[in-house]
Amino acid sequence: MENDFRKEAGKQYLHYFRFWFMGIGILALICIVLGIRNSRREEVPRTNNQAPAERVYDYADVLTEEEEEALRRYIDKTEKKLKIDIVLVTFSQSVEGEAAMKEYGLRSQDWEQNMQDIADDFWDENHYGYNQGFEGDGVLLLHNWYEGQNGEHLSTSGSVERAFSVREIDRVLDAVDQYYDTDPGRAYMAYVKKVESLLDRTPALPFSWWTVAILPIIIALIYAAGGSAQKKAENTVAVNAYVAGGKPEVNEKTDALLRKNVTARRIETTSSDGGGGHSGGGGHHHSSSGASHGGGSHRH
Amino acid sequence: MYCPYCESEESGERAEGQTGALTVCPNCGGEVPVEEHTSATRCPYCDSYLIFNERVEGQYEPQMMIPFQIGKETCKESLREKFKRCLFAPVDFLSEARLNSIQGYYVPYWFYDYDTDCRFQGEGTKIRVWRSGDKEYTETSVYEVNRSMDIHFEKIPADASEQMPDDVMDLIAPFQYAQMTAFEPKFMSGFYGEKYNMSADAAEMRAKALMQTDAEKLLRESYAGYHSIKMVRQDVTVKSRKVAYGLLPVWKYIYHYKEKEYPFYVNGQTGKIVGTAPFSGRKFMLYTGTLWACLTAGLALLQVLLGFL
Repeated sequence: MENDFRKEAGKQYLHYFRFWFMGIGILALICIVLGIRNSRREEVPRTNNQAPAERVYDYADVLTEEEEEALRRYIDKTEKKLKIDIVLVTFSQSVEGEAAMKEYGLRSQDWEQNMQDIADDFWDENHYGYNQGFEGDGVLLLHNWYEGQNGEHLSTSGSVERAFSVREIDRVLDAVDQYYDTDPGRAYMAYVKKVESLLDRTPALPFSWWTVAILPIIIALIYAAGGSAQKKAENTVAVNAYVAGGKPEVNEKTDALLRKNVTARRIETTSSDGGGGHSGGGGHHHSSSGASHGGGSHRH
Repeated sequence: MYCPYCESEESGERAEGQTGALTVCPNCGGEVPVEEHTSATRCPYCDSYLIFNERVEGQYEPQMMIPFQIGKETCKESLREKFKRCLFAPVDFLSEARLNSIQGYYVPYWFYDYDTDCRFQGEGTKIRVWRSGDKEYTETSVYEVNRSMDIHFEKIPADASEQMPDDVMDLIAPFQYAQMTAFEPKFMSGFYGEKYNMSADAAEMRAKALMQTDAEKLLRESYAGYHSIKMVRQDVTVKSRKVAYGLLPVWKYIYHYKEKEYPFYVNGQTGKIVGTAPFSGRKFMLYTGTLWACLTAGLALLQVLLGFL
């Protein structure tokens, strides 16, 4: 008999989880098929061979060697995934005022204009762009560490220029701003990650791997609590179950008014005006070489 | 004698035996152990049912009874239906082999009738709020509330068996008294039975408490509608009382698991079940763990799958 119960237990278990097991089996099968298909799929080749291999130019020397290497590795991985070039340039030089204009042959005395020109020219002169060396797909972050003129400019080109509005540009610069003064390595990693998250069109569940690990524990606990909670029985005896005729015989039912009072209060109405705005970022323009760029700056 | 209620093929002829610690089965001559208050039992050797006349006659003769309305098979089905969602119950809990041990009992009950005079006096407050222009008005009215009613309680049951747990016997109610009949020994054939072993006075406390609670609830219902009520006086006076003795049908299933007894009681008239399913820690770990593993694997595979698209 014990064996029969064991067999029955096994049957019950498989019956109860049959849809789960089937669903997971089907999902696993699809994953294997897609994995094989993707591994056989040829990589989209990089068609621009004019640009240098270097992506991290730390002229301001704010990064350690390890941080630079880590950035290069992450940029390399992200470039292959997004099919764009991602470049970082740091420097420390005055780009504002007449003196700077004369000394460095800048087009203007304006900080933002000059940051934009330097970023665009760097991109164009190095022929960056994943698909082509002119107006190719990619993004460049230029960070000026010169005292009193600290700030970044993000220059976009090709598909990134078309994808990024002022809002996206601001979000990338905000990600950098969050860490630049305490941990520049983290700030530039945040730049690459933010660009990646904004351009990554791969569908994904709206939660992280941490959620994948924790959510089932919570659901399993709720399930366990639900399966264990039991009551002996509900009391289903009606209040009049043992009353002859189902209701009492009412002899007296009086409600005599003793007193009454009325109070009044003024209804307070409140109104408030809100306001405020935010402007920033930059739009489309042409660089000195005639290439189209998008971009925007944050000055600290 | 064929029993139309128990659907049992074992139902044998009615036999009359002697009472004592052991009695001799008049059918097979086997020695049948008999409890002090047993009025009907089954011979474990020949499955004949024995009814002890002296425990259903004279002072022990029930004035009324409700015969079993649901049979053993229906009772088993009810148990399966109720506990089929109890995931963590042991596998054999609802097995045919275990459920076959269900036994039908006629449980002795005292039935109490009370004629009561119930009165309530208090102060009730009603609040009305309305708006006019930019002002909000609140009107508070206070009333003197008086209620007086006669409530005739009929057949409030309280089990007269020391063996049956009081809380379970209270939960197994209600019984539909429309099917109450005069006592007939033939209805006991095929079932176990007991004579009352608690006096009407000893069992009355529970009936009185129920009467008091119900009377107060009915008074409260009569002055519903007030925002708040302050009680000045409330009396429930019993004008007269009557008590009667009767039998009510209950199926009993005892499941043994890990040296512990899990009793289940089923109302033999309505099928209402009282009891909680046993808990298998092993099954709990297995099912919860599997669910966790399935969810984790499912979500992880979904993440991977979406990454491939």
